[in-house]
Amino acid sequence: MTADGTPSTPAEVRLRDVRPTTVPIEVVGTIISLERKEITRRSDGLRRPLLSGRLSDGTATVRFTWWDPPRETIDRGTILRATGVEVTEFRGRPELTFTWRTRVGPAGPAELPLADPNATPRMAVHELRPSDEGFRVEVRVVRVTERTVSVGEERRVVYDGLVGDRSGVVALSAWSDFALKVGESVRIAGGYVRAFRGRPQLVVDERATVTRIAAPDLPEAAELARSPLRTIAQLEDAGGGEVVAVEGIVVGLLPPSGVVYRCPSCRRSVTSGICRIHGQVEGYVDLRARIVLDDGTGAVTISAGRAATEELWGVSLEEARLRLREQPDPTVLEEELFEALLGRRLRIRGSATQDDFGITVHPESIERAEVDLDAAADELGARVGPRN
Amino acid sequence: MAARETAWRVTARELESSLEEEKGAGERSPTYLVSPFGARMSRVLLAGTLSPGEPIGRDPATAFWRARFSDATGAVAVTAGSFQPRAMAQVRSATASRPAVVVGRTHLYRGRDGVASVSVRAEGVRSLAEGEERGLLADIVRQTLDRLDLVERLEKEPHVAEAALRADGVPSAWIRAGREALRRYPNADRGAFRRELRSAIRHVAGEFGPVRSPSPTPGSVTRTVARPAGPAAPPPTAEERGEESVFLGLVDEVSERSADGYADLKEVILRSAERGLASARAEAALSRLEEEGVLEEPIVGKLRRAE
Repeated sequence: MTADGTPSTPAEVRLRDVRPTTVPIEVVGTIISLERKEITRRSDGLRRPLLSGRLSDGTATVRFTWWDPPRETIDRGTILRATGVEVTEFRGRPELTFTWRTRVGPAGPAELPLADPNATPRMAVHELRPSDEGFRVEVRVVRVTERTVSVGEERRVVYDGLVGDRSGVVALSAWSDFALKVGESVRIAGGYVRAFRGRPQLVVDERATVTRIAAPDLPEAAELARSPLRTIAQLEDAGGGEVVAVEGIVVGLLPPSGVVYRCPSCRRSVTSGICRIHGQVEGYVDLRARIVLDDGTGAVTISAGRAATEELWGVSLEEARLRLREQPDPTVLEEELFEALLGRRLRIRGSATQDDFGITVHPESIERAEVDLDAAADELGARVGPRN
Repeated sequence: MAARETAWRVTARELESSLEEEKGAGERSPTYLVSPFGARMSRVLLAGTLSPGEPIGRDPATAFWRARFSDATGAVAVTAGSFQPRAMAQVRSATASRPAVVVGRTHLYRGRDGVASVSVRAEGVRSLAEGEERGLLADIVRQTLDRLDLVERLEKEPHVAEAALRADGVPSAWIRAGREALRRYPNADRGAFRRELRSAIRHVAGEFGPVRSPSPTPGSVTRTVARPAGPAAPPPTAEERGEESVFLGLVDEVSERSADGYADLKEVILRSAERGLASARAEAALSRLEEEGVLEEPIVGKLRRAE
């Protein structure tokens, strides 16, 4: 790293305010993730090193690419000042490029625009949007579970959960152990928001601070975990939700449903023995139903796993496999499954995400819903009015 | 955004009354059937009685089946082709009428004579227990009433803000459909249609009194549109004037009862026959009334008083 103390001509820009421009800018930030790569240049076949990752200054996190970085190791957490940085745009987001013209030098924590995360503005949960940073929230922990993931070579423990205040709930992904417990109220500062399956997710890592607070005005965890029944149109307007409940009628079944084979490493469904990610694998057999549920205001896709599918269909995985032996065409079985489900009224609770094909609900519970026919007839009769 | 088309909850009567189509804007967007009662539908969900199917066409390679679907309010044709093998198998295998749910795409057919008829191309069919059928019908009636309330509100407050309606939980697709219904069927008799839902509600309650025999499915009527030749036509006789008055009275009577505010031509002709007016004479009376600007036929097969 080349130390460079000369005063810079371009103005220092907060990462929150970075926009694609032709004029190089100056930024200060902490490296929060990084990866060293080598790119083979097409023109002469020479290998060129680069460092890419994410830089944060407490107001936003932005991806950066550093061409021909210094040879010595650069650690996560390094604070740097870069002058003459080019800004480009990728998928609608700004990205920083450090070229041979960029001067990069070390900087101290005091140079970061927001030194004290607890001094950042407080936001309500429903205001959080992907790429937000430099805020604090005061929330109740609704749910938290531990999960191990691989990040490159490294195995790390992640704490997935749900936190909320009176305005709503948001998914939480904690990359450090803050010993969060269901029901306690906390102030979280120094986290950031990313989009996960199209939904905002609050990410907290070792840069964040979590403080236990007394907040009797926050709703109880059980109350936050409950969700009133909503129409599918309302769910579409909201772009999904962390805890949702919908009721509707099964009107369709999407392939692949019925007996499927899954990759043993990633659980993705395997087509002709090939996993999209892991190539040739020995798939294991499973049962699933991708149900289209429609309430007359809209339609959602429900991914029902083996247990729910067996319950709804009344056919076990073993029985389904036996039938496949007699009738090897899986689409016939899929049609049978569809016919067994068509027109059924279901009530689903779970989380809902949105993509180009609409809303998908990841169910926690699937129940058959009943209609009180006499009550319905009375209510409808009253609405039509007396005979005249 | 290739979002899936919603299955609109409609009764057979509403489908029978739907005569207007809206072609989707995009390249692959569907054609919507617009009803007078606030549905703008490409896919529907029906619950009622499905009769045994009959094959259409002689070529077994292009198998296509049709069955009659009826509920307490009316009847409509349900078809199934080889693209929906299970739906076709369901339509084909039935030997007796039974309660069923049908999910399918709407299809508006206009014959050479211009008479429109709606059919539903089934994507899925399942026989139901009676309780299930009544539960689905309750859904259908409830949403139909919700839509009627919305259309009435849009009629009373044409400039109501969409945001205000959505705050009340009204889906934006319904608002669009409601406005379209008002634009295309300004004279529809929604009150009469609302009252007709009573028979469906009785069915939800489990009262299976004599089900009103639904009007015959359209498609069998041919109508000659030859008009008496031009200016040389002699002035009508007193007898002809009398026939015109009978015909006009029937148009008023039929349109008053009809859900969309139009008098169905077939029905008027049938009733004319009951009053001793042969169909050729009735046709002639209609032609004169149209020429004189008393009646108009804005949709072929549908009559109303000219404004």
